[in-house]
Amino acid sequence: MIRDITIGQYYPVDSVIHRLDPRVKLMGTLIYIISLFLFKSFTGYLVALVFLGAVIKLSRVPLGYILRGLKAVIVLLFFTIGFNIFLTPGQVIWQAWVFKITREGLRSGAFMGIRLIFLIVGSSLMTFTTTPNHLTDGLERLLGPFKRLHMPVHEVSMMMSIALRFIPILLEETDKIMKAQSARGADFESGGLIKKAKSLVPLLVPLFVSAFRRANDLAMAMEARCYRGGEGRTKMKPLKYGRRDYIAYGMIALYLGALFLITRYLWK
Amino acid sequence: MSIILDKVNYEYSKGTAYEKKALRNINLEIRDGEFIGLIGHTGSGKSTLIQHLNGLLRATSGAIYYNGQDIYDEDYKMKDLRSKVGLVFQYPEHQLFETTVLRDVKFGPSNQGLPALEVDLRAYEALKQVGIGEDMLDLSPFELSGGQKRRVAIAGVLAMKPEVLILDEPTAGLDPKGRDEILDQIAKLHQENKITVILVSHSMEDVAKYVSRLIVMNRGEAVFDGSPKKVFRHYKELERIGLAAPQVTYVMNELAERGVMVSTDATTVEEAGAEILQWAKKCGII
Repeated sequence: MIRDITIGQYYPVDSVIHRLDPRVKLMGTLIYIISLFLFKSFTGYLVALVFLGAVIKLSRVPLGYILRGLKAVIVLLFFTIGFNIFLTPGQVIWQAWVFKITREGLRSGAFMGIRLIFLIVGSSLMTFTTTPNHLTDGLERLLGPFKRLHMPVHEVSMMMSIALRFIPILLEETDKIMKAQSARGADFESGGLIKKAKSLVPLLVPLFVSAFRRANDLAMAMEARCYRGGEGRTKMKPLKYGRRDYIAYGMIALYLGALFLITRYLWK
Repeated sequence: MSIILDKVNYEYSKGTAYEKKALRNINLEIRDGEFIGLIGHTGSGKSTLIQHLNGLLRATSGAIYYNGQDIYDEDYKMKDLRSKVGLVFQYPEHQLFETTVLRDVKFGPSNQGLPALEVDLRAYEALKQVGIGEDMLDLSPFELSGGQKRRVAIAGVLAMKPEVLILDEPTAGLDPKGRDEILDQIAKLHQENKITVILVSHSMEDVAKYVSRLIVMNRGEAVFDGSPKKVFRHYKELERIGLAAPQVTYVMNELAERGVMVSTDATTVEEAGAEILQWAKKCGII
Protein backbone atom coordinates (compact mmCIF):
# COMPACT_ATOMS: atom_id res chain seq x y z
CA MET A 1 0.00 0.00 0.00
CA ILE A 2 2.21 2.78 1.23
CA ARG A 3 5.20 1.24 -0.47
CA ASP A 4 3.60 2.25 -3.73
CA ILE A 5 4.46 5.89 -3.20
CA THR A 6 7.52 6.11 -5.41
CA ILE A 7 7.85 9.86 -5.90
CA GLY A 8 11.09 11.34 -4.60
CA GLN A 9 12.81 8.02 -4.08
CA TYR A 10 16.08 6.80 -5.51
CA TYR A 11 15.88 3.90 -7.94
CA PRO A 12 19.11 1.88 -7.75
CA VAL A 13 20.17 0.79 -11.21
CA ASP A 14 23.31 1.67 -13.11
CA SER A 15 22.79 3.86 -16.17
CA VAL A 16 24.32 6.77 -18.05
CA ILE A 17 21.85 9.12 -16.40
CA HIS A 18 22.67 7.78 -12.96
CA ARG A 19 26.35 8.43 -13.55
CA LEU A 20 25.92 12.02 -14.71
CA ASP A 21 27.19 14.80 -12.51
CA PRO A 22 24.33 15.90 -10.24
CA ARG A 23 24.84 19.51 -11.34
CA VAL A 24 23.97 18.51 -14.90
CA LYS A 25 20.82 16.80 -13.71
CA LEU A 26 19.79 19.72 -11.51
CA MET A 27 20.37 22.27 -14.25
CA GLY A 28 18.78 19.99 -16.81
CA THR A 29 15.68 19.56 -14.68
CA LEU A 30 15.44 23.29 -14.09
CA ILE A 31 15.79 24.07 -17.80
CA TYR A 32 13.30 21.35 -18.65
CA ILE A 33 10.76 22.73 -16.18
CA ILE A 34 11.14 26.26 -17.51
CA SER A 35 10.95 24.98 -21.09
CA LEU A 36 7.50 23.55 -20.43
CA PHE A 37 6.22 27.07 -19.87
CA LEU A 38 7.73 28.51 -23.02
CA PHE A 39 5.16 27.34 -25.58
CA LYS A 40 1.44 27.50 -26.08
CA SER A 41 0.92 24.79 -28.68
CA PHE A 42 0.65 21.04 -28.29
CA THR A 43 3.56 20.49 -30.69
CA GLY A 44 5.86 21.67 -27.92
CA TYR A 45 4.82 18.63 -25.92
CA LEU A 46 5.89 16.38 -28.77
CA VAL A 47 9.42 17.74 -28.54
CA ALA A 48 9.36 17.47 -24.74
CA LEU A 49 8.01 13.93 -25.04
CA VAL A 50 10.87 12.89 -27.31
CA PHE A 51 13.40 14.40 -24.90
CA LEU A 52 11.75 12.94 -21.80
CA GLY A 53 11.30 9.54 -23.47
CA ALA A 54 14.97 9.44 -24.42
CA VAL A 55 16.05 10.30 -20.87
CA ILE A 56 13.69 7.67 -19.39
CA LYS A 57 15.00 5.07 -21.82
CA LEU A 58 18.61 5.93 -20.93
CA SER A 59 17.89 5.96 -17.19
CA ARG A 60 16.69 2.35 -17.25
CA VAL A 61 14.03 3.14 -14.64
CA PRO A 62 10.90 1.16 -15.63
CA LEU A 63 8.16 3.38 -17.05
CA GLY A 64 5.53 1.72 -14.85
CA TYR A 65 7.53 2.62 -11.77
CA ILE A 66 7.77 6.27 -12.83
CA LEU A 67 4.08 6.52 -13.67
CA ARG A 68 3.19 5.04 -10.30
CA GLY A 69 4.60 8.23 -8.79
CA LEU A 70 1.71 10.10 -10.40
CA LYS A 71 -0.69 8.33 -8.05
CA ALA A 72 0.43 10.60 -5.24
CA VAL A 73 -0.70 13.72 -7.11
CA ILE A 74 -3.82 12.35 -8.75
CA VAL A 75 -6.09 14.62 -6.70
CA LEU A 76 -4.14 17.70 -7.71
CA LEU A 77 -4.24 16.57 -11.32
CA PHE A 78 -7.96 15.97 -11.10
CA PHE A 79 -8.64 19.44 -9.71
CA THR A 80 -6.42 21.20 -12.21
CA ILE A 81 -8.07 19.54 -15.16
CA GLY A 82 -11.55 19.90 -13.65
CA PHE A 83 -11.24 23.63 -12.94
CA ASN A 84 -9.82 24.29 -16.36
CA ILE A 85 -12.55 22.39 -18.15
CA PHE A 86 -15.44 23.94 -16.27
CA LEU A 87 -14.27 27.45 -15.54
CA THR A 88 -12.71 28.61 -18.79
CA PRO A 89 -15.00 31.03 -20.63
CA GLY A 90 -15.57 30.54 -24.35
CA GLN A 91 -17.62 28.61 -26.86
CA VAL A 92 -20.04 26.41 -24.91
CA ILE A 93 -20.38 22.82 -26.16
CA TRP A 94 -22.16 21.20 -23.24
CA GLN A 95 -24.18 22.64 -20.38
CA ALA A 96 -26.03 21.30 -17.33
CA TRP A 97 -27.32 23.49 -14.51
CA VAL A 98 -24.43 25.88 -13.62
CA PHE A 99 -21.78 23.67 -15.19
CA LYS A 100 -20.69 24.29 -18.72
CA ILE A 101 -17.89 22.90 -20.77
CA THR A 102 -16.30 25.12 -23.36
CA ARG A 103 -14.08 24.23 -26.28
CA GLU A 104 -11.35 26.46 -24.81
CA GLY A 105 -11.84 24.78 -21.43
CA LEU A 106 -11.28 21.32 -22.85
CA ARG A 107 -8.17 22.50 -24.60
CA SER A 108 -6.68 24.23 -21.59
CA GLY A 109 -7.65 21.32 -19.32
CA ALA A 110 -5.76 18.93 -21.55
CA PHE A 111 -2.89 21.39 -21.88
CA MET A 112 -2.51 21.92 -18.13
CA GLY A 113 -2.97 18.23 -17.36
CA ILE A 114 -0.22 17.22 -19.74
CA ARG A 115 2.03 19.98 -18.44
CA LEU A 116 1.55 18.81 -14.86
CA ILE A 117 2.28 15.20 -15.77
CA PHE A 118 5.39 16.24 -17.69
CA LEU A 119 6.54 18.36 -14.77
CA ILE A 120 6.14 15.59 -12.25
CA VAL A 121 7.62 12.83 -14.38
CA GLY A 122 10.58 15.01 -15.36
CA SER A 123 11.43 16.17 -11.87
CA SER A 124 10.89 12.79 -10.27
CA LEU A 125 13.30 11.36 -12.83
CA MET A 126 15.98 13.46 -11.18
CA THR A 127 15.40 11.94 -7.75
CA PHE A 128 15.08 8.45 -9.24
CA THR A 129 18.55 8.72 -10.75
CA THR A 130 20.40 10.75 -8.11
CA THR A 131 21.20 9.69 -4.58
CA PRO A 132 20.34 12.26 -1.91
CA ASN A 133 24.04 12.71 -1.20
CA HIS A 134 24.80 13.57 -4.79
CA LEU A 135 21.84 15.86 -4.97
CA THR A 136 23.04 17.84 -1.98
CA ASP A 137 26.57 18.07 -3.34
CA GLY A 138 25.26 19.33 -6.63
CA LEU A 139 22.93 21.82 -5.06
CA GLU A 140 25.61 23.14 -2.76
CA ARG A 141 27.99 23.72 -5.64
CA LEU A 142 25.38 25.31 -7.85
CA LEU A 143 24.23 27.66 -5.11
CA GLY A 144 27.83 28.34 -4.10
CA PRO A 145 27.87 31.94 -5.45
CA PHE A 146 25.01 32.86 -3.14
CA LYS A 147 27.25 32.29 -0.14
CA ARG A 148 28.70 35.72 -0.85
CA LEU A 149 25.27 37.14 -0.07
CA HIS A 150 25.35 35.35 3.32
CA MET A 151 22.85 32.76 2.27
CA PRO A 152 23.21 29.59 4.39
CA VAL A 153 23.76 27.43 1.31
CA HIS A 154 25.38 24.52 3.07
CA GLU A 155 22.72 24.39 5.76
CA VAL A 156 19.91 24.55 3.26
CA SER A 157 21.31 21.77 1.14
CA MET A 158 22.03 19.66 4.21
CA MET A 159 18.47 20.14 5.39
CA MET A 160 17.18 19.19 1.99
CA SER A 161 19.21 16.02 1.82
CA ILE A 162 18.13 14.97 5.29
CA ALA A 163 14.50 15.59 4.38
CA LEU A 164 14.88 13.54 1.22
CA ARG A 165 16.71 10.79 3.04
CA PHE A 166 13.93 10.58 5.59
CA ILE A 167 11.07 10.19 3.12
CA PRO A 168 11.50 6.43 2.68
CA ILE A 169 12.29 5.96 6.37
CA LEU A 170 9.14 7.71 7.48
CA LEU A 171 7.08 5.92 4.86
CA GLU A 172 8.34 2.61 6.15
CA GLU A 173 7.64 3.71 9.70
CA THR A 174 4.10 4.72 8.72
CA ASP A 175 3.57 1.35 7.13
CA LYS A 176 4.81 -0.40 10.26
CA ILE A 177 2.68 1.63 12.67
CA MET A 178 -0.34 1.23 10.42
CA LYS A 179 0.11 -2.53 10.53
CA ALA A 180 0.66 -2.55 14.28
CA GLN A 181 -2.54 -0.57 14.85
CA SER A 182 -4.46 -2.70 12.35
CA ALA A 183 -3.37 -5.71 14.36
CA ARG A 184 -5.09 -4.01 17.30
CA GLY A 185 -8.27 -3.67 15.29
CA ALA A 186 -7.78 -0.11 14.02
CA ASP A 187 -9.65 0.68 10.84
CA PHE A 188 -8.16 3.32 8.54
CA GLU A 189 -10.45 2.85 5.59
CA SER A 190 -14.14 2.90 6.47
CA GLY A 191 -16.30 5.58 8.06
CA GLY A 192 -17.04 9.22 7.28
CA LEU A 193 -14.59 12.08 7.13
CA ILE A 194 -14.61 12.77 10.88
CA LYS A 195 -14.23 9.12 11.80
CA LYS A 196 -11.42 8.76 9.30
CA ALA A 197 -9.64 11.81 10.67
CA LYS A 198 -10.02 10.46 14.18
CA SER A 199 -8.66 7.09 13.14
CA LEU A 200 -5.44 8.84 12.11
CA VAL A 201 -4.59 9.77 15.69
CA PRO A 202 -3.18 6.31 16.54
CA LEU A 203 -1.05 6.64 13.43
CA LEU A 204 0.11 10.25 13.66
CA VAL A 205 1.06 10.37 17.34
CA PRO A 206 3.54 7.47 17.15
CA LEU A 207 4.81 8.82 13.82
CA PHE A 208 5.59 12.23 15.33
CA VAL A 209 7.20 10.65 18.35
CA SER A 210 9.37 8.52 16.13
CA ALA A 211 10.27 11.42 13.84
CA PHE A 212 11.47 13.42 16.85
CA ARG A 213 13.35 10.44 18.22
CA ARG A 214 15.09 9.92 14.90
CA ALA A 215 15.92 13.60 14.55
CA ASN A 216 17.40 13.53 18.02
CA ASP A 217 19.48 10.44 17.27
CA LEU A 218 20.69 11.93 14.02
CA ALA A 219 21.69 15.20 15.65
CA MET A 220 23.59 13.26 18.30
CA ALA A 221 25.35 11.11 15.71
CA MET A 222 26.33 14.17 13.71
CA GLU A 223 27.68 15.95 16.75
CA ALA A 224 29.57 12.83 17.80
CA ARG A 225 31.38 13.10 14.46
CA CYS A 226 32.17 16.75 15.09
CA TYR A 227 29.79 18.21 12.54
CA ARG A 228 29.82 22.01 12.82
CA GLY A 229 28.22 23.14 9.61
CA GLY A 230 29.84 23.88 6.27
CA GLU A 231 32.68 26.16 7.39
CA GLY A 232 36.02 24.71 6.27
CA ARG A 233 34.46 21.41 5.31
CA THR A 234 36.09 19.54 2.42
CA LYS A 235 34.74 16.74 0.28
CA MET A 236 36.09 13.24 -0.07
CA LYS A 237 34.86 13.06 -3.64
CA PRO A 238 34.65 16.59 -5.06
CA LEU A 239 32.39 16.90 -8.07
CA LYS A 240 34.19 17.08 -11.41
CA TYR A 241 32.69 17.44 -14.85
CA GLY A 242 33.63 14.72 -17.35
CA ARG A 243 33.14 14.28 -21.07
CA ARG A 244 29.77 12.67 -20.44
CA ASP A 245 28.56 15.75 -18.60
CA TYR A 246 29.52 18.15 -21.38
CA ILE A 247 27.72 15.93 -23.87
CA ALA A 248 24.66 16.03 -21.61
CA TYR A 249 24.76 19.83 -21.47
CA GLY A 250 24.99 19.76 -25.26
CA MET A 251 21.90 17.55 -25.44
CA ILE A 252 19.97 19.87 -23.19
CA ALA A 253 20.94 22.85 -25.37
CA LEU A 254 19.91 20.86 -28.42
CA TYR A 255 16.52 20.13 -26.86
CA LEU A 256 15.99 23.76 -26.03
CA GLY A 257 16.99 24.82 -29.52
CA ALA A 258 14.73 22.25 -31.17
CA LEU A 259 11.84 23.27 -28.96
CA PHE A 260 12.35 26.92 -29.81
CA LEU A 261 12.63 26.34 -33.55
CA ILE A 262 9.73 23.96 -33.81
CA THR A 263 7.23 25.87 -31.70
CA ARG A 264 8.16 29.32 -33.03
CA TYR A 265 8.80 28.71 -36.70
CA LEU A 266 7.70 25.28 -37.92
CA TRP A 267 4.29 24.57 -36.42
CA LYS A 268 3.10 27.55 -34.50
CA MET B 1 -8.48 -26.07 15.48
CA SER B 2 -5.33 -24.83 13.84
CA ILE B 3 -3.71 -22.53 11.33
CA ILE B 4 -2.72 -24.23 8.10
CA LEU B 5 -0.49 -22.66 5.49
CA ASP B 6 -0.62 -24.32 2.11
CA LYS B 7 2.13 -23.52 -0.41
CA VAL B 8 2.33 -19.88 0.61
CA ASN B 9 4.53 -17.62 -1.52
CA TYR B 10 5.10 -13.91 -1.11
CA GLU B 11 6.94 -11.40 -3.28
CA TYR B 12 7.73 -7.79 -2.41
CA SER B 13 7.43 -4.97 -4.97
CA LYS B 14 6.94 -7.21 -7.97
CA GLY B 15 8.27 -5.79 -11.20
CA THR B 16 10.74 -3.26 -9.76
CA ALA B 17 14.41 -3.24 -8.81
CA TYR B 18 13.35 -3.94 -5.25
CA GLU B 19 11.61 -7.19 -6.18
CA LYS B 20 12.29 -9.85 -3.62
CA LYS B 21 10.89 -13.28 -2.94
CA ALA B 22 10.28 -13.16 0.78
CA LEU B 23 8.49 -16.49 1.24
CA ARG B 24 8.92 -19.62 -0.84
CA ASN B 25 6.45 -22.44 -0.70
CA ILE B 26 5.70 -22.47 3.02
CA ASN B 27 3.67 -25.44 4.26
CA LEU B 28 2.92 -25.43 7.97
CA GLU B 29 0.35 -26.52 10.47
CA ILE B 30 0.14 -24.66 13.76
CA ARG B 31 -1.96 -26.59 16.24
CA ASP B 32 -3.83 -25.28 19.27
CA GLY B 33 -1.83 -24.78 22.42
CA GLU B 34 1.57 -25.08 20.82
CA PHE B 35 4.52 -22.95 21.93
CA ILE B 36 6.49 -22.37 18.78
CA GLY B 37 9.83 -20.66 18.24
CA LEU B 38 10.34 -19.11 14.81
CA ILE B 39 13.99 -18.58 14.13
CA GLY B 40 16.03 -17.15 11.31
CA HIS B 41 18.51 -14.36 10.82
CA THR B 42 17.60 -10.88 9.55
CA GLY B 43 15.84 -11.01 6.21
CA SER B 44 15.00 -14.70 6.37
CA GLY B 45 11.28 -14.00 6.05
CA LYS B 46 10.12 -14.64 9.59
CA SER B 47 8.49 -11.23 10.08
CA THR B 48 6.85 -11.57 6.67
CA LEU B 49 5.53 -14.98 7.59
CA ILE B 50 3.85 -13.87 10.80
CA GLN B 51 2.17 -10.94 9.07
CA HIS B 52 0.42 -13.47 6.88
CA LEU B 53 -1.03 -15.25 9.87
CA ASN B 54 -3.35 -12.36 10.74
CA GLY B 55 -3.92 -11.19 7.21
CA LEU B 56 -1.81 -8.02 7.25
CA LEU B 57 0.02 -9.27 4.18
CA ARG B 58 -1.67 -11.19 1.45
CA ALA B 59 0.16 -14.15 -0.03
CA THR B 60 1.08 -13.83 -3.71
CA SER B 61 -0.01 -17.44 -4.08
CA GLY B 62 -1.13 -20.25 -1.79
CA ALA B 63 -3.81 -20.49 0.86
CA ILE B 64 -4.10 -19.99 4.61
CA TYR B 65 -6.81 -21.63 6.71
CA TYR B 66 -7.75 -20.51 10.19
CA ASN B 67 -9.80 -23.16 11.98
CA GLY B 68 -10.68 -24.67 8.64
CA GLN B 69 -11.79 -21.43 7.00
CA ASP B 70 -9.94 -19.92 4.07
CA ILE B 71 -8.95 -16.43 5.20
CA TYR B 72 -8.81 -15.20 1.61
CA ASP B 73 -12.50 -16.00 1.09
CA GLU B 74 -14.37 -12.89 0.04
CA ASP B 75 -16.79 -12.97 2.95
CA TYR B 76 -14.16 -13.82 5.55
CA LYS B 77 -13.95 -11.05 8.15
CA MET B 78 -10.30 -9.98 8.48
CA LYS B 79 -11.14 -7.94 11.55
CA ASP B 80 -12.26 -11.08 13.40
CA LEU B 81 -9.08 -12.85 12.41
CA ARG B 82 -7.02 -9.97 13.78
CA SER B 83 -8.68 -10.20 17.15
CA LYS B 84 -8.13 -13.97 17.26
CA VAL B 85 -4.53 -13.84 16.13
CA GLY B 86 -2.82 -11.20 18.25
CA LEU B 87 0.40 -9.87 16.75
CA VAL B 88 2.94 -7.96 18.82
CA PHE B 89 5.37 -6.23 16.48
CA GLN B 90 9.05 -5.60 17.01
CA TYR B 91 9.56 -2.61 19.30
CA PRO B 92 5.82 -2.51 20.08
CA GLU B 93 6.38 0.48 22.35
CA HIS B 94 6.63 2.59 19.19
CA GLN B 95 2.91 2.16 18.62
CA LEU B 96 1.77 3.73 21.91
CA PHE B 97 -0.23 6.88 21.35
CA GLU B 98 -2.83 7.47 24.07
CA THR B 99 -2.70 9.90 26.96
CA THR B 100 -2.68 7.24 29.65
CA VAL B 101 -1.49 3.65 29.94
CA LEU B 102 -4.98 2.36 30.61
CA ARG B 103 -6.52 4.13 27.62
CA ASP B 104 -3.83 2.77 25.35
CA VAL B 105 -4.48 -0.79 26.42
CA LYS B 106 -8.21 -0.24 25.93
CA PHE B 107 -7.70 0.69 22.26
CA GLY B 108 -7.67 -2.91 21.03
CA PRO B 109 -10.68 -4.29 22.91
CA SER B 110 -12.78 -1.18 22.22
CA ASN B 111 -12.09 -1.65 18.50
CA GLN B 112 -13.60 -5.10 18.93
CA GLY B 113 -16.87 -3.40 19.84
CA LEU B 114 -17.14 -4.82 23.35
CA PRO B 115 -19.23 -3.14 26.08
CA ALA B 116 -17.31 -0.53 28.10
CA LEU B 117 -17.26 -2.62 31.27
CA GLU B 118 -15.81 -5.63 29.48
CA VAL B 119 -13.17 -3.39 27.86
CA ASP B 120 -12.16 -2.07 31.28
CA LEU B 121 -12.00 -5.54 32.79
CA ARG B 122 -9.85 -6.86 29.99
CA ALA B 123 -7.49 -3.91 30.16
CA TYR B 124 -6.99 -4.33 33.91
CA GLU B 125 -6.48 -8.05 33.54
CA ALA B 126 -3.97 -7.70 30.68
CA LEU B 127 -1.97 -5.08 32.56
CA LYS B 128 -1.86 -7.34 35.59
CA GLN B 129 -0.70 -10.24 33.45
CA VAL B 130 2.31 -8.28 32.20
CA GLY B 131 3.12 -7.01 35.68
CA ILE B 132 2.19 -3.33 35.32
CA GLY B 133 1.05 -2.08 38.72
CA GLU B 134 -2.12 -0.09 39.32
CA ASP B 135 -0.09 2.99 40.25
CA MET B 136 0.99 3.30 36.61
CA LEU B 137 -2.43 3.14 34.96
CA ASP B 138 -2.92 6.89 34.74
CA LEU B 139 0.60 7.81 33.72
CA SER B 140 1.36 8.83 30.18
CA PRO B 141 2.88 5.85 28.38
CA PHE B 142 5.73 8.13 27.30
CA GLU B 143 6.79 8.58 30.92
CA LEU B 144 7.56 4.88 31.42
CA SER B 145 10.88 3.11 31.04
CA GLY B 146 11.65 1.11 27.90
CA GLY B 147 10.81 -2.27 29.44
CA GLN B 148 7.59 -0.96 30.97
CA LYS B 149 6.51 0.61 27.68
CA ARG B 150 7.02 -2.69 25.96
CA ARG B 151 4.95 -4.54 28.54
CA VAL B 152 2.14 -2.00 28.18
CA ALA B 153 2.24 -2.52 24.42
CA ILE B 154 2.07 -6.28 24.86
CA ALA B 155 -0.86 -5.83 27.24
CA GLY B 156 -2.57 -3.84 24.48
CA VAL B 157 -2.63 -6.98 22.36
CA LEU B 158 -3.39 -9.36 25.24
CA ALA B 159 -6.46 -7.33 26.18
CA MET B 160 -8.00 -8.46 22.91
CA LYS B 161 -7.90 -12.02 24.29
CA PRO B 162 -6.34 -13.60 21.21
CA GLU B 163 -6.41 -17.36 20.70
CA VAL B 164 -3.00 -17.18 19.10
CA LEU B 165 -0.34 -14.76 20.33
CA ILE B 166 2.55 -13.95 18.04
CA LEU B 167 5.49 -11.93 19.33
CA ASP B 168 8.15 -10.57 16.98
CA GLU B 169 11.44 -10.33 18.88
CA PRO B 170 9.79 -9.27 22.14
CA THR B 171 13.14 -9.05 23.91
CA ALA B 172 15.07 -6.97 21.35
CA GLY B 173 16.97 -4.18 23.05
CA LEU B 174 16.12 -5.22 26.61
CA ASP B 175 18.63 -6.00 29.33
CA PRO B 176 18.94 -9.63 30.51
CA LYS B 177 16.62 -9.05 33.46
CA GLY B 178 13.92 -7.43 31.34
CA ARG B 179 14.32 -10.18 28.78
CA ASP B 180 13.83 -12.97 31.31
CA GLU B 181 10.84 -11.22 32.86
CA ILE B 182 9.05 -10.87 29.56
CA LEU B 183 9.80 -14.41 28.43
CA ASP B 184 8.69 -15.84 31.78
CA GLN B 185 5.45 -13.88 31.59
CA ILE B 186 4.82 -15.18 28.09
CA ALA B 187 5.47 -18.76 29.19
CA LYS B 188 3.07 -18.26 32.09
CA LEU B 189 0.40 -16.93 29.75
CA HIS B 190 0.83 -19.94 27.55
CA GLN B 191 0.42 -22.32 30.46
CA GLU B 192 -2.41 -20.59 32.27
CA ASN B 193 -4.53 -19.32 29.41
CA LYS B 194 -3.81 -22.23 27.08
CA ILE B 195 -3.19 -19.93 24.15
CA THR B 196 -0.99 -20.78 21.19
CA VAL B 197 2.21 -18.76 21.27
CA ILE B 198 4.60 -18.11 18.41
CA LEU B 199 7.83 -16.49 19.49
CA VAL B 200 10.02 -14.95 16.80
CA SER B 201 13.63 -14.63 17.76
CA HIS B 202 17.15 -15.02 16.56
CA SER B 203 18.49 -16.05 19.93
CA MET B 204 18.59 -19.83 20.25
CA GLU B 205 19.21 -19.60 23.98
CA ASP B 206 15.97 -17.69 24.59
CA VAL B 207 13.92 -19.98 22.52
CA ALA B 208 15.33 -23.37 23.52
CA LYS B 209 14.33 -22.82 27.12
CA TYR B 210 10.65 -22.22 26.41
CA VAL B 211 9.34 -23.61 23.18
CA SER B 212 8.17 -27.11 22.32
CA ARG B 213 8.61 -26.73 18.58
CA LEU B 214 11.10 -24.85 16.48
CA ILE B 215 10.72 -23.62 12.92
CA VAL B 216 13.89 -22.42 11.25
CA MET B 217 13.63 -20.01 8.33
CA ASN B 218 16.30 -19.32 5.74
CA ARG B 219 15.88 -17.19 2.61
CA GLY B 220 12.12 -17.45 2.75
CA GLU B 221 12.00 -21.19 3.26
CA ALA B 222 11.18 -23.19 6.36
CA VAL B 223 14.27 -25.40 6.47
CA PHE B 224 13.79 -27.19 9.79
CA ASP B 225 10.66 -27.90 11.77
CA GLY B 226 10.61 -30.03 14.89
CA SER B 227 11.35 -30.16 18.60
CA PRO B 228 14.36 -28.10 19.72
CA LYS B 229 16.31 -31.28 20.41
CA LYS B 230 15.68 -32.53 16.90
CA VAL B 231 16.52 -29.22 15.28
CA PHE B 232 19.70 -28.66 17.25
CA ARG B 233 21.04 -32.02 16.10
CA HIS B 234 21.57 -30.18 12.82
CA TYR B 235 23.78 -27.61 14.49
CA LYS B 236 26.35 -27.79 11.73
CA GLU B 237 23.75 -26.95 9.07
CA LEU B 238 22.39 -24.21 11.31
CA GLU B 239 25.84 -22.64 11.35
CA ARG B 240 25.99 -22.72 7.60
CA ILE B 241 22.90 -20.52 7.39
CA GLY B 242 24.25 -18.04 9.90
CA LEU B 243 22.58 -19.39 13.03
CA ALA B 244 23.94 -21.38 15.92
CA ALA B 245 22.67 -23.92 18.40
CA PRO B 246 22.68 -22.99 22.11
CA GLN B 247 26.14 -23.02 23.61
CA VAL B 248 25.39 -26.09 25.72
CA THR B 249 24.80 -28.09 22.54
CA TYR B 250 28.39 -27.38 21.57
CA VAL B 251 29.66 -28.31 25.02
CA MET B 252 27.75 -31.59 25.00
CA ASN B 253 28.87 -32.48 21.48
CA GLU B 254 32.48 -31.72 22.35
CA LEU B 255 32.21 -33.87 25.50
CA ALA B 256 30.68 -36.74 23.54
CA GLU B 257 33.43 -36.49 20.94
CA ARG B 258 36.06 -36.79 23.64
CA GLY B 259 34.52 -39.99 24.90
CA VAL B 260 32.31 -38.71 27.71
CA MET B 261 29.15 -40.81 27.52
CA VAL B 262 26.53 -38.03 27.61
CA SER B 263 23.51 -37.51 25.40
CA THR B 264 24.00 -34.56 23.05
CA ASP B 265 20.30 -33.71 23.15
CA ALA B 266 20.45 -31.27 26.05
CA THR B 267 19.30 -27.82 24.98
CA THR B 268 19.33 -25.90 28.25
CA VAL B 269 21.99 -25.44 30.89
CA GLU B 270 19.82 -27.25 33.45
CA GLU B 271 19.38 -30.31 31.26
CA ALA B 272 23.06 -30.39 30.42
CA GLY B 273 23.98 -30.11 34.09
CA ALA B 274 21.71 -33.00 35.03
CA GLU B 275 23.09 -35.10 32.20
CA ILE B 276 26.71 -34.51 33.22
CA LEU B 277 25.95 -35.19 36.89
CA GLN B 278 24.28 -38.44 35.95
CA TRP B 279 27.31 -39.47 33.93
CA ALA B 280 29.64 -38.52 36.76
CA LYS B 281 27.63 -40.59 39.22
CA LYS B 282 27.66 -43.56 36.88
CA CYS B 283 31.41 -43.43 36.57
CA GLY B 284 31.81 -43.04 40.29
CA ILE B 285 33.51 -39.65 40.08
CA ILE B 286 31.13 -38.19 42.64
